[in-house]
Amino acid sequence: MTAPITAGTPTGSIYDIGYRGYEGPRLGRAHAIRSLFGHSLRTAYGIGRGGRAKIAPFVLGALAILPAVAIVGVLTLAMRFGAGERIAEQSPIRYDTYFSTISTIVVLFCAAQAPELFGRDQRHGILSLYFARALRRSDYALARIGGFVAALLLMELVPQLVLFLGRSLLSPDILGAVRNDLPSIPPILIQGILSAGLLGGLAMTISAFTPRRAYATAGIIALFVIPGIVAGVIAGLGSSDIGNWLFLTSPSSVLDGTNAALFGAQLSSEFFFINLPDIAYFATAIAGIVGSVAITIRRFNRFTA
Amino acid sequence: MWTLSSRAGLPLGYPSGVALISLRSLTKQYPGGVTALDGLTVDIERGIVGLVGSNGAGKSTLLKILLGLIDATSGEATVFDMDVRTRGTDIRQFVGYLPEHDCLPPDASATDFVSHLALMSGLPRTAARERTAEVLRHVGLYEERYRAMGGYSTGMKQRVKLAQALVHDPRLLLLDEPTNGLDPAGRDEMLELIHRTGTEFGIATIVASHLLGEIERVCDFLVAIEGGRLLRAAPLGSFTEQTGTLAVEVEEGSAALAARLTAQGLEAIADGRAVLIALTDERPYDIVRDTIVDLGLALVRIEQRRHKLEDLFRDMPIPTGTAAAGVVSTGAGAASTGTGAAAAPVGEEGPQ
Repeated sequence: MTAPITAGTPTGSIYDIGYRGYEGPRLGRAHAIRSLFGHSLRTAYGIGRGGRAKIAPFVLGALAILPAVAIVGVLTLAMRFGAGERIAEQSPIRYDTYFSTISTIVVLFCAAQAPELFGRDQRHGILSLYFARALRRSDYALARIGGFVAALLLMELVPQLVLFLGRSLLSPDILGAVRNDLPSIPPILIQGILSAGLLGGLAMTISAFTPRRAYATAGIIALFVIPGIVAGVIAGLGSSDIGNWLFLTSPSSVLDGTNAALFGAQLSSEFFFINLPDIAYFATAIAGIVGSVAITIRRFNRFTA
Repeated sequence: MWTLSSRAGLPLGYPSGVALISLRSLTKQYPGGVTALDGLTVDIERGIVGLVGSNGAGKSTLLKILLGLIDATSGEATVFDMDVRTRGTDIRQFVGYLPEHDCLPPDASATDFVSHLALMSGLPRTAARERTAEVLRHVGLYEERYRAMGGYSTGMKQRVKLAQALVHDPRLLLLDEPTNGLDPAGRDEMLELIHRTGTEFGIATIVASHLLGEIERVCDFLVAIEGGRLLRAAPLGSFTEQTGTLAVEVEEGSAALAARLTAQGLEAIADGRAVLIALTDERPYDIVRDTIVDLGLALVRIEQRRHKLEDLFRDMPIPTGTAAAGVVSTGAGAASTGTGAAAAPVGEEGPQ
């Protein structure tokens, strides 16, 4: 607080140093893109926003990491009783199951947070301020999508890191355990990138088309849930061939497929009837990522600011 | 202050003799056949330039084309001698834009928002923060700059909009209706701010407005457009240096007064309750006084008007013949509803 000013006793002077020019560096487009990427990543977690904006992303982030923390805790206890090895192998929470374990949480995160980025900029007319700056429209779209995908990647990979550290450090033979787990790292990274890219890309594409938050959230959930149900129904009705291929319209089924292929595992029993070549899953995932980015860029190129 | 060495990395080196902004047959047609700009050709130099025209005249469209926010249908536009179609990002690094519409997220504070936009203009992080503090102080936002902008008054919002346009120290400011929604005091302050920014800091400024009385208070050059065509581009002085007008307002009988004055050799027309008389010397004052006494009219006021910018939107403000009188005598409303038809004869003067 400023000290109260008593009349008649001048306590100081206000110097109007006025407006000053800026002579420093202008880092241009690349800097603007990097900054917007970072801003999107932080905004996805509600950082730099009010307290309420942080609730949903932080709760979901905590839920995503919870299984990893829990299993590490169990392992710690088990180690005391000498049963650590067995539990580590038989635990239902492993590198290859983690993505599907938290997939619902990731979908909810997409539905809750993707509209925060694109929807907010459209709703409040901020786009024309971005587009009037050192950015191109495609830069804007890419930086926003990139930041959101990075946020998802964090959400998916940090628990895996916890799992990895827990398994290694709790093992009596740390080096051996690390060596044992090293082959799992490339599939974890690839699956993480595919998953974050596909779910994040699709969620951002939908939220790019409406300033209304509720519409975007509903659209994202619909896109992630309905195709799987439709494909399941059709497959269940007996036309398993069409049903099989229809599963490629369901993002989570596609990601289950790439996950199984990467970790050399069978698709879980509820999907026993899905029998598609591995390449179909990867091709669909990549097409989905490229397609959603392309559609989003096109959307903003045509946006009348 | 405007030297090559200290302004390194600027779009400055644009050749002398080339206008700050140069438009050549710029045309914009929106889908659905609306023509917002119709073959606009004009050069705009540094200074505070008023871009005047009624609603729908094409002012906002022109600013957006200069920013590369929308593409022209045909014709050319250059800013700093760079083509707006191909050098958009280079141009925009040095241009500040205050849009007409709302553009502030209600949940962010002015400080956070303006410094974020400074980064988007290419300023390093520390510089962005420092410039934000300076520029918000410059526009007159102090403690409230840390509060969420949703609670700001319209005046404060307009100030933030100006601040974000200034934060990266642009060489050119494009202000679209900067006094929109402000009360008279707020207008005065905003105009004063624009005037200071343009004159003291040497930032070339284009102020688009339909409020002509405001524009003439801050600008030294005027570009008037109507129906997407150029009405006139000239220094403000040449608009106001013209012969003045004497406006005589009477309770009733303005038509009779005009007729009587015309009969005595003055150029006079009735305009609602007022009679406008061309003022070339002192002679009309006495004639008007005597005529009013003769007719027994109730005089409300006699006022010497400079040529108001409204006159731009009229077909020949003080007609010499009776043909034009019909147009003007439709009353004061004619000023704001001036259309392409009224614009055409003046528009042929072309750029100067």
